[in-house]
Formats: sequence, C-alpha cells, structure tokens
Amino acid sequence: MPSYDDLRATAEPAWHAVAMPSRPLFVVSLNTSSIASGAEATLAALRELGASGGFDVTATGDTGVSWAEPVVEVRRPGGPAVLYGNVTAEAAPAFARAAVSGIAREHAIGIIDGPAREGVPALADLDWYRLQVRWMMRNCGVIDPEDIAHYIARDGYATFLRCAAMDRDELIQVVTGSTLRGHSGSFFSTGTKWKFLKDARAEPKYLVCNADEGDPGAWVNRVIMESDPHLILEGMLIASYASGATYGWIYLRDEYPLANRRMNMAIAQARERGILGENALGTGVRFDVEVVRGAGAYVCGDETGLISSINDMRGMPRIKPPFPAQQGVLEKPTNVNNVETYAAAATLLRIGADEFSNVGTEANRGTKMFTVSGAVARTGCLEVPFGTKVSELLDAAGGIAGGLAFKAMQQGGPLSGLLPAHVAAGLPLEPEPFRPLGAGMGGGGIVFVDETACVIDLNNMVSWFLEDESCGRCTTCRGGNQRMYEIFRRTARGEAHPADPQLLESLSATFQYSNCFHGSLSPVIMNNTMKYFRDEYDAHAVEHRCPAKACPGLIRYVVEHQAAAVADAAAICPARAFVQDAGAWAIDDAKCIRCHACKDVAPEAIAIVDKFADAAPPPASPLATIAPETVRVQARP
Amino acid sequence: MLENEATLEIQHLVSEFKPGDGDLLAALHKVQHHYGYVPKIAMRVVARQLRLSEARVYGAATFYSEFRLIPPPRTLVGWCSGPACRFKGGEHVRKALEAELGIGMGENTGDDKLGLHLAQCNGTCEHAPQIWVDGKVVGPLDAAKTVRLARELKEQP
Repeated sequence: MPSYDDLRATAEPAWHAVAMPSRPLFVVSLNTSSIASGAEATLAALRELGASGGFDVTATGDTGVSWAEPVVEVRRPGGPAVLYGNVTAEAAPAFARAAVSGIAREHAIGIIDGPAREGVPALADLDWYRLQVRWMMRNCGVIDPEDIAHYIARDGYATFLRCAAMDRDELIQVVTGSTLRGHSGSFFSTGTKWKFLKDARAEPKYLVCNADEGDPGAWVNRVIMESDPHLILEGMLIASYASGATYGWIYLRDEYPLANRRMNMAIAQARERGILGENALGTGVRFDVEVVRGAGAYVCGDETGLISSINDMRGMPRIKPPFPAQQGVLEKPTNVNNVETYAAAATLLRIGADEFSNVGTEANRGTKMFTVSGAVARTGCLEVPFGTKVSELLDAAGGIAGGLAFKAMQQGGPLSGLLPAHVAAGLPLEPEPFRPLGAGMGGGGIVFVDETACVIDLNNMVSWFLEDESCGRCTTCRGGNQRMYEIFRRTARGEAHPADPQLLESLSATFQYSNCFHGSLSPVIMNNTMKYFRDEYDAHAVEHRCPAKACPGLIRYVVEHQAAAVADAAAICPARAFVQDAGAWAIDDAKCIRCHACKDVAPEAIAIVDKFADAAPPPASPLATIAPETVRVQARP
Repeated sequence: MLENEATLEIQHLVSEFKPGDGDLLAALHKVQHHYGYVPKIAMRVVARQLRLSEARVYGAATFYSEFRLIPPPRTLVGWCSGPACRFKGGEHVRKALEAELGIGMGENTGDDKLGLHLAQCNGTCEHAPQIWVDGKVVGPLDAAKTVRLARELKEQP
C-alpha cells in the first residue's frame, strides 16, 4: 500500500489543476438542492459551451447557498475567483461569454478570494457570509467530493495520522477538554462517549455514524455528506483509534440518495488507498465501514432505535441501560455520533484545541452548522460560532421575506420547540439558554415563521408527524400522540371543547413517562405554544375563529365580486364546488375543500371569511361530555 | 409468474445477505429496487435467507414508510410534508392533489397510472411548497398550479 506521502504526491497535481487552473474553470455545485434547481442541465450546457469556448468545467458539492442555486464558481488564471448564482441552463450561454474573460455581474454573488471589484462585493462582506466561520465547511463547494485526491491535497487524513501517533487517553482528553458535544441535539460530551467505548470490555467494538437526519427542516448532515464525505470518514477513523473500534456503520436516511452515493464512493476510494482496512495508512489501525440505507423512520434517529434497525429489527428505541457502549450493534459495545459530530471532532483535532477555543462561548467552543428555511428571504446552510444570536442568523438569511413580521422560530425539528419572535430573537445559539424556556436547540434545523401562520395549524402538522412516527411501543407516546393530534384536529374543525387546554396539560404531564425522547419530548411544541400563543388557542376554541384564516373548519371561501376571473376560479376548482345561479357564481360550502386554488387564480374576487361570524358554531365533539374540572393533571415527580 | 419461479428469483436476488449481519434493510431494499415493491412472497424468502421469522420481516417491512407492499404506479407523486412547505401552503397543495386525482396518500389511481406518496423533508426548502414527480422536485407550487399539473399528469399517455 502507498504511504501517505505517496498519496499526497499523487493528489497534489490533481488538486492544483483545479485550484489554480491554466485556463478558466467553471465549477458547478452539484447537490440535492442545486439539482432540484436544474444544476445538472447547467453542467451539461456549460460542458458543451466550454468545448468550443476555451474553458473547462468540473463539479463540486454544496456551498450552502441554496437561495441562489444553481451556483457556479469561476476560477480564472490572473483573475479573481467569483461565486455566481442562478445560472440556469437557459442563462448559461450569455453567462459563460461574460464570465470566461471578466465578471458576469448579473449573476455575481461575490468575489471569493479578494476585495470588492467592479461593483461586486467580496464574499466575506455579504450578510450571508459575514458571521460564518467555515471550519467544518471549508471544503464544501470547494473540492470535488467524488475525488479523494482533492481531500488529501488539502491536508485530508493528516489529522488522523497525527492523532494515531498520540496516546489514546491523551487524544480523548483533548476531545473532552474541548467542550465538544454531540451536534445532533443531545449535546452529550463526545470525548466521554469515546472513553465509554474505550473502557468497554467486550470485543469487537463498533462505531455508528448517525446520518438519519430526520428532523424536518434540517439538512446540515446532507451538506457535509454531499460535499466532503472524507471528513466524516476521517472523524470516524480518529474515533476508531481512540476507542479501539474496528468496524462502523453509517446509517443514512433513504431521502438522501446522492449523499448515499457519495459516501459509498468515498469509502471505496479510501479502501483502495489503504486508508480504510487492515492497517490504515500504516498506523496499525484496523477499521472499515459500510453504509446502511434507512427506509423512512424518524425514531431511527434515536441511537437505540437506529441500533435496533441495524440489528434486523423494526427501528424501535429501547430503554437505557444497557447503554450502546455496553450493548449496541450485534450486542457489542458501540459508540454512536452523528455526521456533524464526527466532522467537528476531525476539525477540532485539525486546527488544535487552542484555536478551537478562540471561537464560540465558554461552555460551547467552536462552531455549529445551521440550515435556515421557511419564511426567510434566503434559504440555505451556514456555519457560525456557538453563541451567535438568532436575530443575527435571521439577518444573514435576509430577514423575513415579503416584508412580513417575524412571528416565531421552530428550531431543531418537532421535539425541540417553537419560540415566539420576542423570546427567540435575542437567544444565543447554544443549548443552555433554551432549557429554561422548556425547549431545546436541536440539531441545526431552524424554520422561521411569519405572521401569516396559524399556531393551531402548526400543532396539527407537528402532532400528526409525532403520532405517525411514534414506534408504538409505549402507550404514553403512541396513545398520547393520538389524543394530542385528535384535539388539534377537532380544534381546526371548530369543534374544540372547553376542557381541551386541561386535557393537553394532562397529556403533557403523562408523556414524560415514555421510554425514549420521541415520547417524552412530544409535548414540547404544544407546551411552548400554549404558553406563548394562548390567545390563538382561545380564538379557536372559544371564539370559533382562526385569526390566520388557515384552519379549514373555521373558514369559508366566498365569491366576493362577480368578476370575470371567477369563471377561471370555477374552472380550476378540483372539488367542483362552484355553482352558477342566474349568472351569479357562488361556492357550495359543503363541497369546498379549502384548497385555495380559486383564490390563487382570482385573488380579488374570492375572499376567505370566518365561518361562524354570524352563524352558530358546531356542537362540541362527542368527547365533550367531560367537564373541565374532572380532568386531573398529574403532578410531575 | 409461478410462485416457485418467483421464489427462485428472489432467492437469487438476496443470496449475498447473511444472518446476524445487519442485512435485513439491504435485502428489502434490493427486492423493492427489483420489483418496485416488496411482494408478500419475498418476505418468506428473505426470512429464510436471514434465518428470521416471517413475522419479524413483515414487521420491519411495514414499520418503515419507504417500503411499498403494493405495486408502484407508473408515475409516483411525492408530497413533501415538511415545515417550510407547510408554512407556504403545502396543505393547499395536498388537498388539490388528492381532490384532483381522487386518491389519498399511499394510494394509486384505479388504472395504476398515478400514485401519491407522503414524503419527508429532504432539505430542498427553497422550492417550498413542493412535490416530487418520480423523484424530481417541482416547486414552488400553489394550489392552482398543482391542479393544472395534476390534470396534465392525468392526460399523459
């Protein structure tokens, strides 16, 4: 097997050819987001143009700039490297003509490697980039993730070599002392976890990489896997040396086929070069890894659920102890970290504990990746120091789109919470400040919510998801989520019962007896919204009115003006709910499904009105025989 | 296809997988990749191959939402149930799809031409609200655009 120096010697020319090209090079971002925006067509168009246009074309992963995909970087000998956005296949010919010899200003996002010029700002000065410390993301959108040479040429696997020369306890001590904790949302000390596995007595020992990023609205791990897969393998190799693990599984969700392909490609390339296998780079470390393709189950994001899934079972979490470090995959000692945690560990050890501790907060040193989506102007993935304020992150994302007001933040998936703007804005992004609020920071997904959203509708979505994804093992979680969803459904139908707030409180107190976090954290968003948006609950339940005009049972679509556009509205209606009487259009409320299609085509002519503005509300649901005072709320132990 | 023939074919398909090696998901994925769904008979064959009970294989096949137990439609429309989509009118898109196609999530039209699948967020939220037509992201949509698209899909040969 070649030595590391040999690998490096072969890798460097390959990297230099694209880093400092001898003629213009167009680097197209190819990732799940960009492909959805047509980046494959852009790549094909540019390749064709380049063949006769005097430039080369290659691909990279994800810059995180989802808001301007397809993104293309152009590197020119003697010229600045420029990042461009919205380069569709249709725009490619005019773009290529301008970018091959100068700056295509129409598409320019920023100058990557220097100061502003020709009216184009430096990338580092943009709101989107100013906050960022791209340590884990340093290769994202820079190297070709399908070519190990690029990774190696940029010091890849050198950190592992250095770590493998250290004493294992010392290595673990560096990780523990760095404050590095699990980036998935659990925030358990990574060094301590590695030590548990090192100290476990049974053999063999295993590593698992949790790549089951199931929190809706989070795609941090996808960005790393699609852009820099070897960083994860290097993190796992370091953990394998520190803990004595000899084999690993990357449990990767089914929704990420491109990440799956790139991880498998990276593993194959690392094996070929003797980086994975019997004697990693001649260090004596024996470690190999395989990808397990998940099949769509949110609870497999729980480490014991994930282990059950690898063990040929339904992905049901179980009670701890035994902890995975005692009994995990195939009943052997196992350490589970998520993708970003392995990436963070490799990054910490690359830059050293001293520099690492210069960024972040006292309790949480270093950086964290976040994805921002929802009501923001710019959707994407960024890496910022721990302790960055939510308001700063929102500013980086261009604020709330459309001039609407910032209503709330839904962070970390359905188990971490929803906080109103006035509480969220000043919060530093690190786990501790969220806890006294009865919330968590979660794994990095942040969905911003504007004033047009309805809190009951939002709870309907969340409680449906939680019920659907409950593994069903414990009654508190399975039945609790069924009841919680039922209450939100009937509230949205306009059939809320006066006892519902007490019933919700009672459920909240019961959920804590669930086996795993899926159950015990199920009421978090409901608790947060009951606390901060109680007026909306009352508007629905007491006044039979949905202020945001979202809940189907409390609104009606009506024809307000007999305009010409109403005929188009009638034609688009998938429920055939429009009726015409003596030339006048009306909507048959019994047929209307509240899909909004009519208002999309005739916004002026169609209005949404309160259903019970001047009519009697529907009778409360049959469950409503319970008197509010008979609902007992169980005290917390 | 005769049952024996099918059994042999599936046996061949899953012959690389071993008991006690964490191969169940991979075996089910391979079957689904080949047939477009997991036929009942495959569960028996996979169970035998991995020395698991049929109940355990059936339990897993029905636990995970990505395994289909019925043949796939010719065109599969995934509806994203994620939060960014929801806040931007994803529910409108779902209602329009279901009403126009006359089916619910997880169902196929009578002629198996179109089917609806409840999809989970894949982080392409700049296209919210979105659907996936045979895996390809289409968005941002509104209800009216969805109705038009559904009508086109119904018309296609």
